[in-house]
Amino acid sequence: MSRATYLLKRLVLSIPVIIFGTTVTFAIIRLGPLSPAAAILGPQGDARAIRQIEERLGLNDPLWEQYFNFMGDLFLFDLGQSWVVNSGTPAIDLIISYAPRTIWLGFWAVLIALGIGIPLGFYAGLNPNTFSDYFASFGGIVWRAMPNFWLAVILVTLLSQSEQLFGFSWTSFIVETNVVTSPNLAVLKNPTRLITDPGQAWTNLAKATKQILPPALVLGSASMGTEMRIGRTAVLETINSKYVETAKAKGVSPRVLVWKHIFRNALIPLVPVITAEAFILIGGSVLVETVFSINGIGLLFFRAAEQGDLPLVGTLMYLFILLIVGLNIVQDFAYTIIDPRVGYDG
Amino acid sequence: MMGTETELTDDIDQPLRDRLKAHPKPALLWGIGLCVLLLLEGPTYLDGLLGAIGYGLGVLPGAPGAEAFASASAFFGELPHLLSRELIPNRGYYDGSSWQGTFLGLEPKYAWLIRFLLVYVYVAVLLGWLWYGYVLFRRHYRAADWTPTDDVIDRLRSHYWGLFGLAVVVFFITMAVFAPVVGPTTAEENIQGPYSHEMQYFNEDTETVETITIGEANLGSASRGSGDSNVGIWSYDDFGRFHPVGTLVSGKDLFTFLAFGARVSLFIGLGSMAIAGFIATTLALVTAYYKGVTDLIVVLTSDSVQAMPALLLVILATVVFKNHWIAEIYNGAMLFILLFALIRWPGLWRAVRGPALQVGEQEWVDAAKSYGQRPTVIMRKHMAPYILGYLLVYASLTLGGVIISVSALSFLGLGITAPTPEWGRAINIGQQYIASQSWHISLIPGILITLVVTGFNALSDGIRDAIDPQSEGAEGGATGAAAGGGGG
Repeated sequence: MSRATYLLKRLVLSIPVIIFGTTVTFAIIRLGPLSPAAAILGPQGDARAIRQIEERLGLNDPLWEQYFNFMGDLFLFDLGQSWVVNSGTPAIDLIISYAPRTIWLGFWAVLIALGIGIPLGFYAGLNPNTFSDYFASFGGIVWRAMPNFWLAVILVTLLSQSEQLFGFSWTSFIVETNVVTSPNLAVLKNPTRLITDPGQAWTNLAKATKQILPPALVLGSASMGTEMRIGRTAVLETINSKYVETAKAKGVSPRVLVWKHIFRNALIPLVPVITAEAFILIGGSVLVETVFSINGIGLLFFRAAEQGDLPLVGTLMYLFILLIVGLNIVQDFAYTIIDPRVGYDG
Repeated sequence: MMGTETELTDDIDQPLRDRLKAHPKPALLWGIGLCVLLLLEGPTYLDGLLGAIGYGLGVLPGAPGAEAFASASAFFGELPHLLSRELIPNRGYYDGSSWQGTFLGLEPKYAWLIRFLLVYVYVAVLLGWLWYGYVLFRRHYRAADWTPTDDVIDRLRSHYWGLFGLAVVVFFITMAVFAPVVGPTTAEENIQGPYSHEMQYFNEDTETVETITIGEANLGSASRGSGDSNVGIWSYDDFGRFHPVGTLVSGKDLFTFLAFGARVSLFIGLGSMAIAGFIATTLALVTAYYKGVTDLIVVLTSDSVQAMPALLLVILATVVFKNHWIAEIYNGAMLFILLFALIRWPGLWRAVRGPALQVGEQEWVDAAKSYGQRPTVIMRKHMAPYILGYLLVYASLTLGGVIISVSALSFLGLGITAPTPEWGRAINIGQQYIASQSWHISLIPGILITLVVTGFNALSDGIRDAIDPQSEGAEGGATGAAAGGGGG
């Protein structure tokens, strides 16, 4: 099977997965004990208003018609509108205005996790059974078991009161920022300003980055532990493999050995971890964005669910499912490129 | 197999009962010991069991017989037993010269400590006795000198990381099971209805013993960070009540809160893992036996379930089912059990699918087929035992994830509702006091969650290395995914 047919097969197989997930969402929202119209209006809603909303959402149509309308709208990216959170705004506008902050957060979360987790894991693997190995391994295990909302709460406190606690003020460190706030990403929408108006633009970028680092560290914490652990085992396994021994016998210098023969192969098992991180980020973003009050997609979802904006919740759910399925395909595809031994049949 | 059996001596074919009859003394002594241990705490077990049945019946329409069970449970609850606050009371008042009403007139903290330690000593003795029973069985009654299980157990015994996990898990389960006894006060008095219970304390100003409702006393024992209003770790409040890990913002005892919170977490974790494990095992066996289309359908279904953002799905379901009767059972714990079972089974199934496919290829399965054994019997008797160990490994990992998810939701104010204690809610309540002297409200529940989840992960590592010594670290990817899923 060629790579193109493999990709095609993966795409075809993802269709039932998307349909299943969307159907479950439909079932929970439309067949669940809470009617969307009642949820939108809350307990005080009067009967006439409920009837009006039912009419507009098509809740009085036969169920199969509702189902096909619901699925059809989503598949054609007719994403509907928000009813409570930002009443009357098209869902797509809300997503476009909330998404950049989540992406910014996710980007740094992945970067921090990779930047700390993998080097630590490789270091532990290259120096197995030393004190630093045990320290790093144990740290990774505990770090992974920590609930990230708890970590977030502690970090918020430590950073916002760092002046009193450590005599070091995080809020005025390099650039003046608050701990619990949304980063302002205007500069990223207009990157030419980095050249035309460097003073202001670079300060803004520094602010946005500094604000996102603590939540990103929290969000990446679970994956960081995992990456460390897997990086360590991968290095240990590669070191003990025969080709490394051959290279050593051949007289390859230790530096080349480590960088060329060990690291590159040890990276392979880390691919699925990196993509699996995306799933953690999606769930974790709800908690982390709530604690740091970052106006992102996660917080939008939580508010929509809490306030009974079920149509918006359905739309967001559908987008998350698409995202996860898409990432899965990218991961499998990346795997076939990085490691040619992985078969296309799997 | 048949051939080897006939060659061996005939006492191998004896059923266990005959072997016991032939040499009854060790078994008898052990049985008496077990009875004594169980009788010491018998009323508690019966109270809990009957109470749970009564509660379960009460949920059914018409509540058939629920009352009878409830009254039977109350009857056993009144009977004296070893680990009770009646036997070792830790609450009393200091009348200026000595403590009144506490165990042996000791200070409340020592009285509480004695009861707390006694619970753990009791559990340790009980577990030790069960282990001794297994050793006796191995020495006197088992037909074979050696079985592969012996090796597994020996490997686990020398796996210190796994043993650490086991110890933490036992600590956690004991705390949950004996929640009414280990806390310095009870949930009914301190958490559910503080204003319908009274207590006595010694008023130093008037030098008299006065009576006050617990609710009013709680107002004076609140931990609010600034000034005098803080009851920290290992301290007394103004009313002579001892708080091992301080009080909540509302003045309620944090340790009692944590113990009952452990109960909820454990209930949800075990319940959902039992259901998910059952689904996963059944599907793994069926797909490994029949393969083909069945396998494809299950693969697609599990892929679909895993493609849904788990935490968000739970949030959505919690909102939609908020006023539904199912969310009323144990304040939403039942809803969580069902949700987590439905969301987590694919992970477990993926973990046992490999071993199930492997065992499906074995000769003994072929042999059983050619003997004409029914498929269900083959799956249950010849395949299931092989995959259960793997199931345990991943269920233990996933359980940690479920505990984190539940506390995350109650941190957000969803799911388990007040007044039922949940660790995540304590973290939420204490959020703004972390940097103050009332730091214990948020930090201690968080440390406990970390400890318990680490314990379950360690136990899972231990079991994995014990059943499959070659596998060490090889499937770290799956491990990461399972634990990471709980990261949310």
